[in-house]
Amino acid sequence: MSDRPTISPDDSGKAAEYVLGLLPDAEAREMRARLASEPALRAEVLAWERRFATMAEQEVAPVTPPASVEARLVTHLFRDDARSRWYWSGLWRGAAALAMAGLVALAVMVYTGGPGSRGEPEFTAIIAAEDGSLQLAAALDLDSGQLRVSRQSGSVAEGRAQELWLIAGDAAPVSLGLLSAEAETQVAVPEPLRALFAGGVLAVSDEPPGGSPTGAPTGDVLAIGVIEEIQA
Amino acid sequence: MSAQTDLEDLLARIVLRDRAAFRALFSATSAKLFGICLRVLNDRAEAEDALQEVFIKIWNRADRYKVTGHSPMTWLITIARNHAIDRLRARKGGGDTSEPDLVVADPAPGPEAQAIAAGEARRIADCLGELDQSRAAAVRGAYLEGETYADLAARFDVPLNTMRTWLRRSLLTLKDCLSR
Repeated sequence: MSDRPTISPDDSGKAAEYVLGLLPDAEAREMRARLASEPALRAEVLAWERRFATMAEQEVAPVTPPASVEARLVTHLFRDDARSRWYWSGLWRGAAALAMAGLVALAVMVYTGGPGSRGEPEFTAIIAAEDGSLQLAAALDLDSGQLRVSRQSGSVAEGRAQELWLIAGDAAPVSLGLLSAEAETQVAVPEPLRALFAGGVLAVSDEPPGGSPTGAPTGDVLAIGVIEEIQA
Repeated sequence: MSAQTDLEDLLARIVLRDRAAFRALFSATSAKLFGICLRVLNDRAEAEDALQEVFIKIWNRADRYKVTGHSPMTWLITIARNHAIDRLRARKGGGDTSEPDLVVADPAPGPEAQAIAAGEARRIADCLGELDQSRAAAVRGAYLEGETYADLAARFDVPLNTMRTWLRRSLLTLKDCLSR
């Protein structure tokens, strides 16, 4: 064979029990202490991890997780980063322009009094691609149900469509419609869906012209953004 | 084999905080790891939460993959299984059997270790098949359902110490068969 250190059957059994989580507490502690100083025991623990994982790899059937898991994961891991990148790298082009546009819009609204109780949006999101190739700002006014989506960078690929999705918790994504190739898209969000914005995620997928034929995203997820609630 | 090289490449890029690599790893491995979380937890919502936490661990600990000497899938499955078992035991309110500490491999002859792993992968189904059916079920119960000796003793209706002797013997038989 080789010059790998040998191990007694008793220790091999203990190593397996350790990996399985079967050792009584006292023995598990003793095992941990021994692992620090015994290379042969370490190798045996790793060998059992490998044997059991191989069993699981062959026996457990894969199950595709719902898209919401990836969306939550990406926003959880990368959102702070995405936000600071948005503030700094886009400061001159994106943020400043948006701030100006916001001021103008607000001024117009104040001046005209605005229709009904239309006020500031209650929910906003920056929907951004990993590589910055696509970025949209979304704002929902709860009372009117108007969702305004402004394209800040990126465009719709020739012969393709971009579809906007609302992902709430563990539920399947709900289509909010196709994004216009123009700078702004207005979406009328039906009443029942407005309640789902809190804590939700907006995502944009690449779809054939006319949108997803199945009612669920079929193409790549191009951009994702967490919905933020604006504190009054 | 090239699939393994691809996963190794992705893990190496994740260490460098490459998010595109992370998303590629997710799309390549999440179905297998979700299957494992589901098998252990037997509850869809909980398995989804577990899967999310597993990938957060993968993102945060990718730098430690190399020191185990494992193949990418062995490392990923071990993280997923241990995390799901932790959740299962927390749910049952059992003792705080936290995950085994990270074990660091000693510089081993790489090709030899890989040859052993490949041989075991080919033989594992046969070797489990050689075990008495109920003993193979006990091994699966401990690894994939988080069953303790007490659970197993109750399931097979034998005293706890008998169960322990029984399972240990089965494991050593399995190991012998794999190294044949």
